[in-house]
Amino acid sequence: MNVHTPLDGLIDDRPSDKAFHVSRSAFTDPDIFDLEMKHIFEATWSFVGLETQIPRPHDYITTFIGRQPVLLMRDGEGNIGCFLNTCRHRATMVCPFKRGRQKFHVCRYHGWAYDSAGRNISVTDKDDGQYPADFDNADRNLFPVARLESYRGLIFASLSADVPSLSDYLGDARAFIDLVADQSPVGQLEFVPGDITYTFDANWKLQFENGLDYYHFNSTHSSYVDILAQRTKSGDATGFTSERADEVEGQGSFNFSNGHAVNWSIKRQMRYGRALASDPDGLAEVKARVGDTRLKWMLRQRNLTIFPNLQIIDISSAQLRTWRPLSADKTEMTSHCLAPVGESPAARRFRIRAYEDFFNPSGLATSDDNVMYEFCQTGYAAQAGDTLGHLRGLDPGIGLPGDHVSELGISPVDYAFGKPGFGGETNFHSGYREWRRLLQHATGEAADA
Amino acid sequence: MPDQKADGRRFETGHNHAEAEKLLFDEAQHLDDKEWGAWAELYEADAEYWVPSWLDEYELVTDPDTQVSYIYHTSRAQLQERIGRIQSRKSITALPLPRTLHMISNVVLTDIDDRNIDARSCWTTHVFDPRTRRQHLHFGTYRHRLILSDGRYRIARKKIIIMNDCIPTVVDFYSI
Ligand code: FES
Ligand SMILES: [Fe+2]
Repeated sequence: MNVHTPLDGLIDDRPSDKAFHVSRSAFTDPDIFDLEMKHIFEATWSFVGLETQIPRPHDYITTFIGRQPVLLMRDGEGNIGCFLNTCRHRATMVCPFKRGRQKFHVCRYHGWAYDSAGRNISVTDKDDGQYPADFDNADRNLFPVARLESYRGLIFASLSADVPSLSDYLGDARAFIDLVADQSPVGQLEFVPGDITYTFDANWKLQFENGLDYYHFNSTHSSYVDILAQRTKSGDATGFTSERADEVEGQGSFNFSNGHAVNWSIKRQMRYGRALASDPDGLAEVKARVGDTRLKWMLRQRNLTIFPNLQIIDISSAQLRTWRPLSADKTEMTSHCLAPVGESPAARRFRIRAYEDFFNPSGLATSDDNVMYEFCQTGYAAQAGDTLGHLRGLDPGIGLPGDHVSELGISPVDYAFGKPGFGGETNFHSGYREWRRLLQHATGEAADA
Repeated sequence: MPDQKADGRRFETGHNHAEAEKLLFDEAQHLDDKEWGAWAELYEADAEYWVPSWLDEYELVTDPDTQVSYIYHTSRAQLQERIGRIQSRKSITALPLPRTLHMISNVVLTDIDDRNIDARSCWTTHVFDPRTRRQHLHFGTYRHRLILSDGRYRIARKKIIIMNDCIPTVVDFYSI
């Protein structure tokens, strides 16, 4: 039987015809949103936090995987666990705080208690004999997530066991996590303290696309470009770097398996300084440790997307952002200033100021993006044909073979490189293909059942 | 404590509390009336303008050099950079600009010395965005450090605490 699913025709992907279209309804349809939550966010690896957020035994943070509340904590032995933040008794959220340190979590409703390994250690009044005989055999521990693994201190969890190992899932995108983590003399990343949470009234995929979109910078951020030009004139060149004269300037992207992608640029002259380059001693230490080639890549702007909920942007500062889709037209963002553990106080100060300057709903660039997503969401509601928003770069023409892949020792599934204004959109395709694969996989199973 | 006369004048330090308090209200009015130049002129050239973020449910960040703030500026020129951005008609966050209404109350003034007064106050800003027809409310407390220079008060420091810090889309100097 041919089962009609709401997925029909959402993505028109015909490589041989150089066609790629994403239906407007993928951004607006509440039914598709529900499928995304169930079969993408709650069925594959999600970023949930950094190991450095919970460094000591009994430290915890709370967050969400898709719609589901989770509690990420370190037990008395130092092992990290991730559990659904819901009481076994009658579902109450066990831990209502954002972060903290506790050996025990006592549910406020009726007083059942759990330890930092998620084990139930007390059921109130259990010994008064009112429970059925087999109650002692019931599993009363917090529900663990199906899979939990870390890479370079980035913790990922999956609510489905049907996922590859994290290492296989990340694939060659790991090289770009390494380029951030190896900026630390001890190889560790941390969040600069201070929480920034905001919402925009638009679909989460607008953020997914924007993080890989160089094309919009000069138009969306033209007021910021003016400010950068003005600042350059006034002459503060702290942290400015330049590429060697024999490097071909340009902008490129790599697509990886499982929906991840990165874009990057090679500019003879950057428009802003780099936190890493603002401290000569720190820079020398990194150079001695990682060598010229990897340092060169560390100093290039890189926007990394780990499908489905993580982006790491390494420019004047570094930002790690995650999103929690709330509905088809509302998204909650959490943004962190990401920093290498052990950088100098001066570089840290530079990093923080540069982060505040660019990012967040109060920054001079991200605020424009947020408003733009809302304009898009309004526009997507128009019952018009497909947009022409995913085609740029399908006929690269200007593409140049480079040493980029061999320098990094990676084998991306797709690769593009063009002039500095290239701004390709084919780097969205891997995410959309993974999006479609996960949804079809799930609805296909449902159809067979 | 020095004696305080009914007109708000404190003879011991020479501060005029009525005038100091009026500065807070003038600032709010300049923002609501979009008189950006006059607003920036209320600030000393090396004024500190600080909007800290929250560490967790209870604690604000305390050190802008090691922790993240929403905004941390240390000069009037940086405020003017923000003004220039929204006046350029190039930033979509300002096209169109929301209408805002600042309300300030519970002002408590404390003389620090002959030149400086600290002011603690409560604020709310109602924001109406004609683009989306949405309205929202930001609220919190202000800490002003006012300095008497050339016979008038100016702002040497301002700290803006935002209590409801899950920010809808955009927040900028005119909406807090
Ligand atoms: S719901 Fe947790 S103890 Fe009852
Ligand atoms: Fe942007």
